[in-house]
Amino acid sequence: MSAYKDIAWNGLWKQNSILAQLLGLCPLLAISTTFVNAVSLGLATILVMMLANFAISALRALIPYEIRIPVFILIIAALVTVVDLAFNAFLHDLYLVLGIFIPLIVTNCIVLARVEAFAAKNGLRAATFDGLMMGVGFVWVIGLLGAVRELVGQGTIFSGIEMIFPTLTGIQVLSEDYPGFLIAILPPGAFFVLGLLIAGRNWIEARANQRRLEKRLHDHPSSANAASA
Amino acid sequence: MNNSPYFLQPASVQSVMLRVLLALIPGIAVYVWFFGAAILVQIALASVTALLAEAAMLKLRGKPVMMFLADGSALVTAWLIALTFPPIAPWWLTVVGVLAAIVIAKHLYGGLGQNPFNPAMVAFALMIVAYPSLMSQWPAVGFTEFLPQWQAIFGPRQLDAITMATPLDALRTALHTADARATVAGVLGSSASFGNIGGKGWEWVAAGYCVGGIYLLQQRIITWHMPAAFLATLFVISGGFALYDPTRFVGPSFHLFTGGAMLGAFFIVTDPVSGCTTPRGKLIFAAGIGLLTWIIRTFGAYPDGIAFAVLLMNIAAPLIDMNTQPPVFGHKRKAGGRP
Amino acid sequence: MTDPLEIARRESSVLRISVRTAAIMLAFTLIFTAMMAGTYKATEPLVAASALAEKLRLIAEVLPPAQHDNDLMKDAITLAPVPALGLDSDTRLWRARKGGAPVALVMEAGARDGYSGRISLILAVAADGRLLAVRVTAHKETPGLGDYIDPKKDRNKARPWITQFNGLGFDAVPREKWRVKKDGGKFDQVAGATISARAVTNASGRALAWAVENSDRLFALPADGRFETQGGKP
Repeated sequence: MSAYKDIAWNGLWKQNSILAQLLGLCPLLAISTTFVNAVSLGLATILVMMLANFAISALRALIPYEIRIPVFILIIAALVTVVDLAFNAFLHDLYLVLGIFIPLIVTNCIVLARVEAFAAKNGLRAATFDGLMMGVGFVWVIGLLGAVRELVGQGTIFSGIEMIFPTLTGIQVLSEDYPGFLIAILPPGAFFVLGLLIAGRNWIEARANQRRLEKRLHDHPSSANAASA
Repeated sequence: MNNSPYFLQPASVQSVMLRVLLALIPGIAVYVWFFGAAILVQIALASVTALLAEAAMLKLRGKPVMMFLADGSALVTAWLIALTFPPIAPWWLTVVGVLAAIVIAKHLYGGLGQNPFNPAMVAFALMIVAYPSLMSQWPAVGFTEFLPQWQAIFGPRQLDAITMATPLDALRTALHTADARATVAGVLGSSASFGNIGGKGWEWVAAGYCVGGIYLLQQRIITWHMPAAFLATLFVISGGFALYDPTRFVGPSFHLFTGGAMLGAFFIVTDPVSGCTTPRGKLIFAAGIGLLTWIIRTFGAYPDGIAFAVLLMNIAAPLIDMNTQPPVFGHKRKAGGRP
Repeated sequence: MTDPLEIARRESSVLRISVRTAAIMLAFTLIFTAMMAGTYKATEPLVAASALAEKLRLIAEVLPPAQHDNDLMKDAITLAPVPALGLDSDTRLWRARKGGAPVALVMEAGARDGYSGRISLILAVAADGRLLAVRVTAHKETPGLGDYIDPKKDRNKARPWITQFNGLGFDAVPREKWRVKKDGGKFDQVAGATISARAVTNASGRALAWAVENSDRLFALPADGRFETQGGKP
């Protein structure tokens, strides 16, 4: 079971596709203008990653080593096309907003990276779980980015939710007079907020390392001294 | 002239910054004369905000607060922000701009001496992208009455009567329409905001900054390289295009004496931290800003181009410095490689 | 996955390896293309319905569906490029009728003199010569400055800028007053962003004039007919 725990920890934090590996930034920066857009694209990405990891893990015995990359891309592209068509058919309003960024999931390096690094070498259950966890790692970051940008940029949260659940509406968090910090919604704002998120992660990691070091110093003073010397 | 590794005149940061502030005074005085005292309110507002933010950040970062606070660098940033923002901008616009400059552009990058971008220009670029309409509303020429300006800054806003676009903005907007009848001469003749040389009033403010700049040169706080390269590039390019088609491109006197050109030449481009340090690098750096300023002013969507030009060249500054290092004395150039 | 060395040992000829690899690639291509084709077929009717709904929603923004009883998609004609509307390619024009009587024309229009690039409009002109409404369908105006021409971006939610044209005809606003105030006309503009407003105002004025002038002929044309501009192409 601890193998699954590792997979989850890697996807959500340690090897997080955005905060640690900085992969898939193009859709991340372009679509995270509102929380709903961000999470929708994130969910589509989860779906593709799970399906791709599942399919490739299942077919891995049949794929010759020499042509694995073209086959991987073929499979990923086919799955993305299916997801794209499904969005067009069932969530048309959202499809109009996400537009080109659903087909562009194909080019999201994180999908090919996980297929190549994990699914091609691991069993079905582990591979699918890895796809899920890497995807969730992508979603929570893009969702947070979207929420911050939307709140700072236009003072709302969940705007556009009616595209998915027609009965719900977005919430005006800040007063109607809030002038809207427009730059948060524009592309530069995406870089600013992402930069702050990455800085936040590095800060947390640095503090954790510091604590580990102090703990070791406390437990084994001699070895820590040796290490620092 | 000054590429020696030691200072000719070992000056403390504090005395340099104080003299920079002093050099800004002639320009500010002319500004008040033509556009009213609102700019003084903005300068005060920006200064207080900057000092508070600086103190808070120094404390957070565990630095000696009083020592660094007294160096005056935050005040210079604050004054430059106030002078580049519209004097009747609402108070929170200035406050947020100053906070962005001090907290993000300066201290998150490691404080004075470490910031890769000019903090005042970060503030300007950030706010003009975030609030383009508020950042484009300037007081009308000759409207110096203090009370409405005070209300514009702090109170309920009744703007339209007292605002107008800057000359640079007005000219570009007029020329930008598909209406082929608009020509430079026609636009310049039609509006009260244009003076004989540049923008009405603005040409004299620019002259004020120029006086301050000459003082800084005489005090050897800045060297001639950057202002000269910046102004010369702007002059040559705008002059060349104005000769090529005087109906569509405005001449150099307008470019040099309007908007932030003079303020930029002596006080912004010359920022010692975020710019180049080698003499040849300084020339390239400032000439690049001049070129980009003209391009952005002529073809861009925002009222002035200096801030964006400075930030773009800030990114390039380390690369320029690396490629313009003077050869170390006694070393031959390596074959095939630049020094 | 198979170790490459092992393949080489097992299969003697290079040709056989190549053919085998190619066959596998082909098989994968066929299988996954079939999967895509199947999904396409399965979703096709839904996708077409969504596209239609989107078009109707756009039309409904300028012409409330309650005002007519005919099927707009069936009562449409093709417009050859109309310079007066700022169009340089074929477009559709929809004709709304109630009980057979003409109600309104819904058409696209464009303005090339926006601040940055073309502004696309859709507008409805009533049979009595009033402009029912106009909406911006695509634009590239500066965010926060010129984009108030799109009611979704307009900060004045109660009465977006573009609604001031609603229900006006040349009897209420003479043709020469169909301009922004800065140009001596009747319509407001937002200070500092006149160009966008001017472009939309002038384009809607031109389109309204064209529609009024050609209204009878447009309504008279048989469905799916093609309308050539008078004095247009020789």
